[in-house]
Amino acid sequence: MNGTEHDVSRKNNNEGNMLGKVGYGILYLILGIIAFLQIYPLIWLVIFSLKSNQEVFNASPFALPIEPRWENYTTVWTQGNISLYFFNSVWITLVSVILTVLIASLATFAITRMVWKLNKLVLGLFMVGLMIPVHSTIIPLFNFFLNINLIDHPLALILTYTAFNLPLTIMILLGFYTTLPREIEEAAIIDGSSIHRIFVQIILPLTMPVMSTTFIINMIYNWNEFVFINTFISSDRFKTLTVGIQNFIGQYSTDWGAIGATLVISVLPILIAFVFLSNKIVEGIAAGAVKG
Amino acid sequence: MYKKKVTAISLLLMMIVSIVLSACGGGGDEDNAGTTDGGGDDQKTVKFMHLWPEGSAKQHNMIVQDIVNAYEEENPNVKVDVEVLSNDQYKEKIKVLASSNQLPDVGLTWAAGFMEPYIRGEKFTSLDDVLEGDLSDSFVAGTVDAFSSNETAYGLPLELNIAPIYYNKKIFEDNNLEVPKTFEEFKNVVTTLRKNGITPITVGNREPWTGSMWYMYLADRIGGPETLTNAINRTGTFEDPGLIQAAEELQNLVDLDAFVKGYNGLGNEEAKGPFMNNQAGMYMMGTWELPNYTTNEDVPQEFRESIGFFKFPTYDGGKGDINSFVGGPGVGLFVAEQSKVKDEAKDFVKFFVQRWGERSVTDAGVIPATKVDTAELDLPQMYIDVLDELNNASNITLYADVQMSAAAAQEHLNLIQSLFGKEIPPEEFAKQHEQVLEAED
Amino acid sequence: MNKVMSNKFVIALYILPALLLILVLVYVPIVLTGYYGLMDWDGIGEMSFIGLENYTRLLSDPKFWGSALNSLLLAIFSGVSLIGYLAISLVLAAKIKGANLLRKIYLIPMLLSSVAIAQLWLKVYHPINGLLNSFLVNIGVDNPPSWLANPDLVLGAIFVPIIWQYAGFYILIYYAALKNIPDTVIEAAKIDGASPLQIAYRIKLPLILGVIKVTIVLSFVGSLKYFDLIWVMTGGGPNGASEVIASYMYKQAFNSYNFGYGSAIGFALLLLCLLATVFIQKLTKSDDDIQY
Repeated sequence: MNGTEHDVSRKNNNEGNMLGKVGYGILYLILGIIAFLQIYPLIWLVIFSLKSNQEVFNASPFALPIEPRWENYTTVWTQGNISLYFFNSVWITLVSVILTVLIASLATFAITRMVWKLNKLVLGLFMVGLMIPVHSTIIPLFNFFLNINLIDHPLALILTYTAFNLPLTIMILLGFYTTLPREIEEAAIIDGSSIHRIFVQIILPLTMPVMSTTFIINMIYNWNEFVFINTFISSDRFKTLTVGIQNFIGQYSTDWGAIGATLVISVLPILIAFVFLSNKIVEGIAAGAVKG
Repeated sequence: MYKKKVTAISLLLMMIVSIVLSACGGGGDEDNAGTTDGGGDDQKTVKFMHLWPEGSAKQHNMIVQDIVNAYEEENPNVKVDVEVLSNDQYKEKIKVLASSNQLPDVGLTWAAGFMEPYIRGEKFTSLDDVLEGDLSDSFVAGTVDAFSSNETAYGLPLELNIAPIYYNKKIFEDNNLEVPKTFEEFKNVVTTLRKNGITPITVGNREPWTGSMWYMYLADRIGGPETLTNAINRTGTFEDPGLIQAAEELQNLVDLDAFVKGYNGLGNEEAKGPFMNNQAGMYMMGTWELPNYTTNEDVPQEFRESIGFFKFPTYDGGKGDINSFVGGPGVGLFVAEQSKVKDEAKDFVKFFVQRWGERSVTDAGVIPATKVDTAELDLPQMYIDVLDELNNASNITLYADVQMSAAAAQEHLNLIQSLFGKEIPPEEFAKQHEQVLEAED
Repeated sequence: MNKVMSNKFVIALYILPALLLILVLVYVPIVLTGYYGLMDWDGIGEMSFIGLENYTRLLSDPKFWGSALNSLLLAIFSGVSLIGYLAISLVLAAKIKGANLLRKIYLIPMLLSSVAIAQLWLKVYHPINGLLNSFLVNIGVDNPPSWLANPDLVLGAIFVPIIWQYAGFYILIYYAALKNIPDTVIEAAKIDGASPLQIAYRIKLPLILGVIKVTIVLSFVGSLKYFDLIWVMTGGGPNGASEVIASYMYKQAFNSYNFGYGSAIGFALLLLCLLATVFIQKLTKSDDDIQY
């Protein structure tokens, strides 16, 4: 490389920096606007939850409440079993999600990493599971759970959530499992590892980022689900937060401030869980890199 | 490292299994207690499902609970097991339950078109024996009919509503307007309000049953009280000139810019906003709205005092009179045919209806389908006025979407939206109705 | 290697939990839906067999085809928006400052339940004092449209919140996929003098191609059976202008007591999804396809 070339490239670099700075500015502006659009609903929800029914409909929907009605929260928390619903939401979501991600990981491992003839057919079977509209399934499923005596039982929900989220979870896992190099298992087998050991000790940690991703997605879906809950569960002691929200929607009138407060209460735990898990995506990669 | 992971995962699995199992055990036990109704000492359980959750219908919910408690006290061998769902979820679940023969022993149903498939499928049991004796006299005449099929009652109504036009007296005063007696005067009110920058009428026609009431009144005032009903029960036709003219007049109102901006995209609750905020002059709704203009402490008193109501004006040359109303019974109680505790269920229904009447009007502002003695109750003036109008009513036409079969009602509601949106001419509106109703026959 | 990885017993052990759940809880309803589609049934009383009558009625039902067209438009719209999500994910994964926070913010709408999102957007579109029309009036638009009441605008208006709702979902998946690419690959490309755009286009995108294909299928199938926001915000109206297949199916099955016909629509929806998936897979098939 001679001197002139070097100079030219440096000059280019400087221009590049200028351009880069402007470019970054625009980039951040765009990213910032998107971020605002995405976070605004949460802020709005909190404002909304502090309003009275009057304010919700009369004043501008974006105005601040004249005097914040914190009692909306106390009303919600003390009325209609919300704390019980909250607890139910947590454990039903948690059990279903763990079950789904675990079972889906096993299946995806068998489909993508193991050698057998029917794997594509089985994968196809899972994919078709994505395509049935939920409302077509409630009458058949109700009958099924009735026959095996699981109506009004949380297990009906857990099984349904797991089954209906499996296709999506497997699809997402699939894309990642196929990118893992074959050498990983080959090396392990030469070392004399059993297949279970390969799955638990190598594959699961390696797929931590995508497992966290599916964990988050499943968690959100189960947490907000209400069609199955309403249909399968009739006892108050198994109902969840989404039912609590519906209970504030009346026949002729609706207490919107209370709905807002319930929504805020219901989004908080999932927000916290999300922030925590979201970091796992990155941590998982780091762990995987060390292994790899 | 490996060991740690395995332990962690097996712990996790154990946790899942144990939670599932413990839940299993709990659920199973309870199930047995619930369904084996004939237990040792003759303890019976009546399952009751209603749609007034504490969150959104506190008063209703409380009254139900009180009635249930009172009943259980009087009948120590009967336990009433209550399940509460909100409106939309109730409608969905009741259907799923019916398809699997799992209806609760006692539940709520809507009249006519809604309950027809349940009667046809023999899911509801006849309540004629409950009505025998003094109970049948306590209902307002005709209300039980809406829950009957072939002279047999399958439901006992709890509410009776009519739909007057509520108006803002202050707005009318400020604009030198008087309550219109004729449709011409009414149109004059509309143009005056619009000219002065006030929304004349608010309506949330995203839920087209609200717009349907406007059309029904016009049909009643122009064609007379029977025309629409006859068109629906097929003794008449929807292409009756009166029904077409009513559609025309409705579009004339649209042309006068009578309705709130964007009415076809607003829900009923949203459309109420402008009226509650003194931005709209008139709002037509069932009398279940009365608490908002009388007793509801959440609504500013000044506003409540400025609201009145009037009857839909008469139409020059029309066949209907001013005392004919659109309205009807809301929900009613049914007893399931497959119930194993039918006697207790019927007894509970009877008890419920008797207790409901008085309590619902004083505590929840519901106008019950049972007769109310206004002299003995301390009620706001507006209630007394409405009850008087009810007594003087020459006719009450049941909401069109309730009269029709569910499938025809769906079409009717779509067509109402098109009519309001001026996407369909009046003749076509009538013709399409006629086709739908004819196909059902 | 092959001996260990083709152990029939292990394959069965790994695949059966998922397969059983799917077969019992998803396939039984699918088969029953197809079966109910052959019946004249109000969902409550006796059913009677009418052969393919529901399906022939479907073929000549302009409302069904209208709703199918709307669903298809939504699917295409969602598919195109994937490009945007991918671009954002590429930027976020490129180790820019604040990426971690932005990524979390972008997912927030997804955490909210449909009830909350519907309420927010109803207030954005409110014809009188909504955010959008208030803004339009301020910049001098005389008579801003009533977004959800106008049959020409309602479809576009309802698509926006749906796209917005799912942005986080796809960004999350793409981000995890991009983070899964080993740093060594990218470092090597940098040493070879590739520009960031070249790295993105030539290296990153091909490496996550499997994931991209999965998301195309997911967004297409998800859009075809989409229901939630449309149901709450417009109910398919005015007069069917925003009707989609799932909302039409629900109306038939649950509101009009045509459960047989509703089931036929549900089954047709499943077939449409299947057709679309096969089509997409044919379309995106390439030489460097994933090898299982």
